[in-house]
Amino acid sequence: MSTAGGERKGSAPLNRSVRGTTPRLADLASTPESPRTPLGRSVSSLFGSPGGSFRNEDDYVVLEIGSRFVRGGFPGESTPRCTLSFGPDEQRRVGDYRQWDPAHGSNRRKRKRGHDWGQDHELYRLDLAQVDLGLVEDKFERAMREAYNKYFLLDTKPKRILLALPPKMPHALMSTLLDVLFSSFQAPSITLMSSPILSTVAAGLRAALVVDIGWAETQVTAVCEYREVHERRSIRAGKLLSEEMAKVLNAALDDEADAGAAKADVSFEEADEVLSRVGWCKSKPKSNRRTLYFPARTSPVLEEFEDAVESPEPAVTIPFPRHTPPIDLTVPFAQLAKPAEAALFAPDTALNEFDDHELPLHHLIYRTLLALPIDIRRLCMSRIIITGGVSALPGLKIRLLAELEALVQQRGWDPVRNYGSASARKEQLLRQQREDLELRCQEGEDQINESLNSDTPLSAGLQSPEVDAIDAKLAHLSLRNGPPPTCDVGGVIRGVETLGAWAGASLIAQQRIKGIVEIEREKYLQHGLQGASREKEVSVLQQRQSMGPGVGRGAGERASWTLGVWA
Amino acid sequence: MAQPFPYTYYACDCFDSTTTTASKRASQVLAAAAEEDERDFDPRSPRSNYSLFPLEHLLYCEDCQQIRCPRCVIEETLNWYCPSCLFEVPSSVVKSDGNRCTRNCFNCPVCTAPMTTNSLDTSGDNGPPYILACPYCHWSTVEIGIEFEKSTGISSQLARVANGGKHIPTQKERDKERERKKELEERRREGRAVMSPSEESPTTDTEREEVAPSHDELFANLGAFYKSQMEAQTPSNPFSSHDINYSSPSAYSRIVNLYSSTTSKKNKRNKHTPFREAGSALEGLTIHDSAADAAAIERIKREGWGSTLSPSTKHAQINPNLRFDNELRPLATLLCTKRSKRCRSCRHILSKPETKVTSTRYKIKLLALNHIPRLSIRALPLNINPAQQQPLAPPARPESAFNYNGLKSGIPTHFLLHLSNPLFDPIRVTLATPSTTPGKVQSRITILCPQFDVGANTDVWDDALASTLSPINRTSLINDAGQIEAGKIWDRGRNWTSVVVEVVPGFLKPVAFPVLAEDGKGGGEAEGDDGGLDEDEDVLEIPVFVRIEFEADVVAEERGLGVSVGGGDAKKGEGGAREKREVAFWTVVGAGRIAPL
Repeated sequence: MSTAGGERKGSAPLNRSVRGTTPRLADLASTPESPRTPLGRSVSSLFGSPGGSFRNEDDYVVLEIGSRFVRGGFPGESTPRCTLSFGPDEQRRVGDYRQWDPAHGSNRRKRKRGHDWGQDHELYRLDLAQVDLGLVEDKFERAMREAYNKYFLLDTKPKRILLALPPKMPHALMSTLLDVLFSSFQAPSITLMSSPILSTVAAGLRAALVVDIGWAETQVTAVCEYREVHERRSIRAGKLLSEEMAKVLNAALDDEADAGAAKADVSFEEADEVLSRVGWCKSKPKSNRRTLYFPARTSPVLEEFEDAVESPEPAVTIPFPRHTPPIDLTVPFAQLAKPAEAALFAPDTALNEFDDHELPLHHLIYRTLLALPIDIRRLCMSRIIITGGVSALPGLKIRLLAELEALVQQRGWDPVRNYGSASARKEQLLRQQREDLELRCQEGEDQINESLNSDTPLSAGLQSPEVDAIDAKLAHLSLRNGPPPTCDVGGVIRGVETLGAWAGASLIAQQRIKGIVEIEREKYLQHGLQGASREKEVSVLQQRQSMGPGVGRGAGERASWTLGVWA
Repeated sequence: MAQPFPYTYYACDCFDSTTTTASKRASQVLAAAAEEDERDFDPRSPRSNYSLFPLEHLLYCEDCQQIRCPRCVIEETLNWYCPSCLFEVPSSVVKSDGNRCTRNCFNCPVCTAPMTTNSLDTSGDNGPPYILACPYCHWSTVEIGIEFEKSTGISSQLARVANGGKHIPTQKERDKERERKKELEERRREGRAVMSPSEESPTTDTEREEVAPSHDELFANLGAFYKSQMEAQTPSNPFSSHDINYSSPSAYSRIVNLYSSTTSKKNKRNKHTPFREAGSALEGLTIHDSAADAAAIERIKREGWGSTLSPSTKHAQINPNLRFDNELRPLATLLCTKRSKRCRSCRHILSKPETKVTSTRYKIKLLALNHIPRLSIRALPLNINPAQQQPLAPPARPESAFNYNGLKSGIPTHFLLHLSNPLFDPIRVTLATPSTTPGKVQSRITILCPQFDVGANTDVWDDALASTLSPINRTSLINDAGQIEAGKIWDRGRNWTSVVVEVVPGFLKPVAFPVLAEDGKGGGEAEGDDGGLDEDEDVLEIPVFVRIEFEADVVAEERGLGVSVGGGDAKKGEGGAREKREVAFWTVVGAGRIAPL
């Protein structure tokens, strides 16, 4: 078999040159020990772009680090090679095989003393006061070792790493992660990209409002021209959601059990599984019409408000093999939508009772949009990307967009929420404005019919403008050469799907786009994160202009590096 | 529980040394430095899970003279092979075709058992169609509507069939199709623009595709879109094209910027035609569509729990964004690798398997087993009298009767620590242990003889021939009160010695007066009791610090770098200078589980 392998190796370059893909001329030219006339036309090393051997250095590994999962894979692939979690089973000692014990599956795991809900499934949390960074390092190192050895199967050549991180991360945590990647996995350089931007890229957009409903918190980031413009967060996210689900399940289990039985205490794994399998979200807001104000004419949501009541109430049977005694619990289907309702939208609480960090999601999105400059808001509101683990909950996206739509209709884009004694007047003004607008719209529609009749001349404001041939030609030209009209959509609430931050990172690495934040191994090992320059942006282009003996060292090498958003 | 009792774990301290101080905050650094010296190893701390290993999992670097755990080695892949068909996959194929077997090996997506190719032919001569079936859980590709025409080359067949039997276009076909559609759209747009430029509506809804594009397709569309944009972005090259690789944008920007000082104006003018965003599904834009979500809800309502996928099944799938069981795909078997391991600090090879896939032998294998004394523990027979009468009899029977899972709180129990020496030099051992075990259940531990010698691992026959080591008179060890005397070893053989450890297992719940026990934390304690014990907190694990000293030949330095590292120990060379060596490490001994009262 080894001879076969040798043969293959021997013939491989031959094949390649026959096919003529990459004759490695630059290789030959750059080997110093055997001086020879450069074959063909190799560029002098000063100006030449890096040849075959350097090119390989551009090979990337793409990682996305979230607080509960790490995804890893290679550029150009649409899905990560592996998605690794950090559950207690992943944290056992070597040689501890109890998770394969058949009896293990029937034991309910208790939460550790002093641990939060789901804490032993987290890689890190942002509040570093509660985090043992050493433990984070251990967990991350083990996960990465699994990824490299089991899924990546790389050869010895070190690969650069493209790392997708949330845009706000404590430096201590970052350097812990970077330490592992640089020291244990020998990455020559690591490019950091912020995940909202990658989500934007994976949606094919330049500007977007990225709603990342993650584990510990929901981040709403406004991205414009691939830059984070504004950001807000709320703790209404996956953790709260699964905790609510546990409450619902506990209540259902207690109902089922005898009176004297101990209180049910569903473990995190069970709640999480139920949530991801049969959890859902009502796609229409429940009737809180008292608070919502709809103008008479434009109320598309209004008619659909009432849920149709189905005569046999649909129910889902959920097995609980870990409960004592094991039980098949039948939960009304509507009940399974409750957690999302309570955790993410909290419709029963008045808005003024929320703290800043726990706004319901639709209000959070609305406020983020409200805080944006008007032209960016126009772009962002019609490019709402809902991503993150929880966003897979069926119905959630529809619901969020509907709620937002309703909010916008109710409030408009007025940052003043209460005009006090002047509110009546304001209301009236608004209504009048709206009615004017509608009237005009309607007349506009009618006008076509009328113009066909053309018996009465319309007022100038309502007439359709005269068609200018030049204008038409220009518009036609721009239409043909410019972006398609969908690129210009703005001002309406519209959701756009994304492939996720990892896919975005994979796309970027595939196109070999250099990131702003690129950390070289040597420099990092010398200075750590302190070595970053204070400026947020280091111009990529400026650095490369410098010509001289240093140019040959490598195209991407920069004099200083920055931490960009993370600084 | 991790392993059957009793067991021993060895701690590798590499994580301590690799943690750079940069990642710790100042207060932590100070605290760590302060207690660095007299800190006991805590088997209860969550970090210990990452530093404890069974001895069999550890390697030993002879040059650094240290244990090497999987964390402190560098691994290099020697070859790739499929564990199911043992086909060796060349590295180029791994690079191009990914990390999975490209032949006929598949795992069941539900239970991960290897799947078999079965024929659905009822006539008996195993003709087509074929299916993949799981012999364990009886899942088969029939459930997702896939059948194969041939029994070989399954993975290439599978790549062309979507669930339900529909044809998946290949990458090339897809690209072609995309181009065609794009042109079509372009033409339509032009036509419309000519007709009525003013009234322009988004064109996407005029012709909706019957199926939403798959994840892969979207990704390919996006990729193609970005590529075309990048190409449009960078102007056509100023030089002749044959010697610079223009597929790289960095090369482009370099060339553009070479002359930016002279032709800056021109550059600036044509540089800023910004990259636009994707405008249609063909370019990867998907507008949120509520139909899919509604359908999913409807389906959950209708079909319930059984049709959905568990999280672990989902994560195992190639595309983890699935929800229902008819979206499952059989999983091609992950390739395995043979890897050699090097010491992280000195880069010497510690283990190197033979490259042949079917061979399980190693060319180089430096096991800690051969360099580190093996420490083991077992219960001392409860009644010492039989042992007294026949000291040489193997204590098999009474030991098997001992219930390691039911240690009794508060009753002193004796264990034998057995230390065997794999080295060819006699060693002097010092054991140390904290007097009480860390954690919530505090057991008292006393090693009765913490310092002793262990003989060299000489020829087995030496033992038989030389009768210098007379059996120890056990009676002298046990005094009149029936207690074992401290300071003396229990037993000794050619290269092993055993000593007695006395353990008083702690109480799982605070005894008697919980309020008095800890007045300060009364409330907290009570609350903790409600929560009960965490998993494995009732396991009696004894951290033991082992320090061994011995004199060995000075060999490591003189030896050529890694030349004769393999196999036999070259230590026997007499006459060389002797040097004193010292090895110290923490071990954790799992003695048993404390039974609740």
